[in-house]
Amino acid sequence: MQSKRTKKLKGKILFILVTIGILHVLIINNGLQTIKSIIQKIYRFVGIMNTDSSMIQIFINGLITGSIYALIALGFTIIYRTVKFFHFAHGIVYAAGAYLAYAFFIFLRINRFISFFLAIIVAALLGVCIDRLVYVPLRKYKTSNLVFLLTSFGVFIFLQNLLQLIFGAQILTLRTGPIKEGHHFLGAVITDNQILIIVSSLVLFFLCWLFIQKTKFGKAIRAVSDDPIGARVVGINSEKIIMIAFAIGSALAGAAGILISLETNIEPTMGFSAILKGIIASIIGGIGSIPGALFGGLFLGVAENLGIWQIQAGWKDAIAFVILILFLLFRPSGIMGIKTEKEKL
Amino acid sequence: MDYLIHILIIAGIYTILSLSLNLIVGYTGLAALGHIAFACIGAYTSSLLALNFGISPWMGLIAGAILASTLGAIVAYPSLRLKGDYLALATFGLGVIVYSIAKNWVSLTRGPMGLPGIPSFSIFGYQISNVWSYLILVLLFVLLTYIVIKNITNSPFGRILKGIREDEIASLAMGKSVNKYKLIVFVVGAFFAGIAGSLYAHYISFIDPSSFTIMESITVLLMVVFGGMGSLKGSIVGAFLLVVLPELLRFLGMPSSIAAPLRQMIYGLLLVVLMIWRPQGLLGKYKFK
Repeated sequence: MQSKRTKKLKGKILFILVTIGILHVLIINNGLQTIKSIIQKIYRFVGIMNTDSSMIQIFINGLITGSIYALIALGFTIIYRTVKFFHFAHGIVYAAGAYLAYAFFIFLRINRFISFFLAIIVAALLGVCIDRLVYVPLRKYKTSNLVFLLTSFGVFIFLQNLLQLIFGAQILTLRTGPIKEGHHFLGAVITDNQILIIVSSLVLFFLCWLFIQKTKFGKAIRAVSDDPIGARVVGINSEKIIMIAFAIGSALAGAAGILISLETNIEPTMGFSAILKGIIASIIGGIGSIPGALFGGLFLGVAENLGIWQIQAGWKDAIAFVILILFLLFRPSGIMGIKTEKEKL
Repeated sequence: MDYLIHILIIAGIYTILSLSLNLIVGYTGLAALGHIAFACIGAYTSSLLALNFGISPWMGLIAGAILASTLGAIVAYPSLRLKGDYLALATFGLGVIVYSIAKNWVSLTRGPMGLPGIPSFSIFGYQISNVWSYLILVLLFVLLTYIVIKNITNSPFGRILKGIREDEIASLAMGKSVNKYKLIVFVVGAFFAGIAGSLYAHYISFIDPSSFTIMESITVLLMVVFGGMGSLKGSIVGAFLLVVLPELLRFLGMPSSIAAPLRQMIYGLLLVVLMIWRPQGLLGKYKFK
């Protein structure tokens, strides 16, 4: 009975994965024009075609940065759910993803997609290594979240400067050819890479959500996050589940780093503001909630871009932190979070 | 020789910062990660007053410290409602916000271009521009900070702070107004951090936002943790060791493009190692619970 059900489930998941893959390829390669025209028709129908185009551009820019934030927040959330502390070094896994892709693609001249894939795998391994080497001894002592946070800072500083030592402090880029002109879209401009960023982060997001909600491992992750002792009682190896969570979360961070490096330059300090935005996004969305991570990331991205439009680009980080402090003070459970007895601030 | 004195002066300034942070983190148990923001306020206040209005650096130092402690009070208010890592994150945010203000309010702070030509202190018409005399001045301030914080922590007031650190609810049950004590601790800590910032500005005679990044806050926290939380001697030892030891890298003949990240790597590694094997630091008795 059990095996039949899991088989059915596996078949379903495989089917969904294949469809998503096909859709993904279609959208990026050929289907772009069709989808664009469909959306344009919808917009024309609604009658907002000729509204302020800068508004739409800001919104699109917000979605691009927001989808990256959402990916980081998602990885962070998956890890947070199992271990219940702020894994700050997540940001350096993100930066490492970008640098690894650079190393494989530009230094070793491996094929683009293979090198990205390798980079994501090595990033996942890096996350697992951080967990094994640093967090496991701390878990043995049963220390507080604060100690974990500070240790995580230490790991972050160490690895960031290691990256700087290896690759230098100057900015690098994954771009090889000239910059392509973007598509004009409802009066706004969007490039192929930007579309790739939005679509692939949404796809990754959906896959992760399926993984958490539908598979056995996802169920185990949820069990460990709800009640670690209860999970151990029913025979779930929580250390193994934590390792899987670190692998998936870090792979997501690596993917986010690669995606953003298609769009902007790579520098050693890029992980710092990224993880801050990831943490802020997941607190806004409701910490530990997966739809919350998506929502919080997009919300933060759009809010930041609106703020930059109104004020100045340099205030980006300050805006994000003002939003965070407001949320911490007035709605600490976030937009979609549920306040449980234990997790009250 | 002048270089050695320079390092000692910087170490002295860091000692003031770590002593004042120890009062907040080590004695009261509040995880504050934005300590450099107070130094930033102190440095900018006194140098702007000196440059724009020609006010004596001594007055500027006091004004900077008072403004920093006002900010401390403003920070303390929301922090009363947050605990543990959430408090750490909120104070961290404060550090980022103050840094962005220093960087982006160009009409006031000249942004990344910095403020050059900040005048030095003078006593009875005698300019303290010599490194030796500045070292004595800084050491006097270190002594002052040490005496004040020592007296605070040894008094009944200090016992209540330790009580808050050990068990906040028990302190409340004893009838102590925990919020009031936390507020005072933040104000006093920020006051001395403001003094440290002002001393730094008038010594280097040039400040820009890059001296007050959030990494500096973490460095100061590392000094407190390394020396030992709740131990004032530990803070002094921690600050001196962490300023002096990385300078040895320079004597080994490393170019600064390697020495700077290497120094940060050592800090990062030290933080991890301390947290895993010796969370109470060199001389401390208390550790983060």
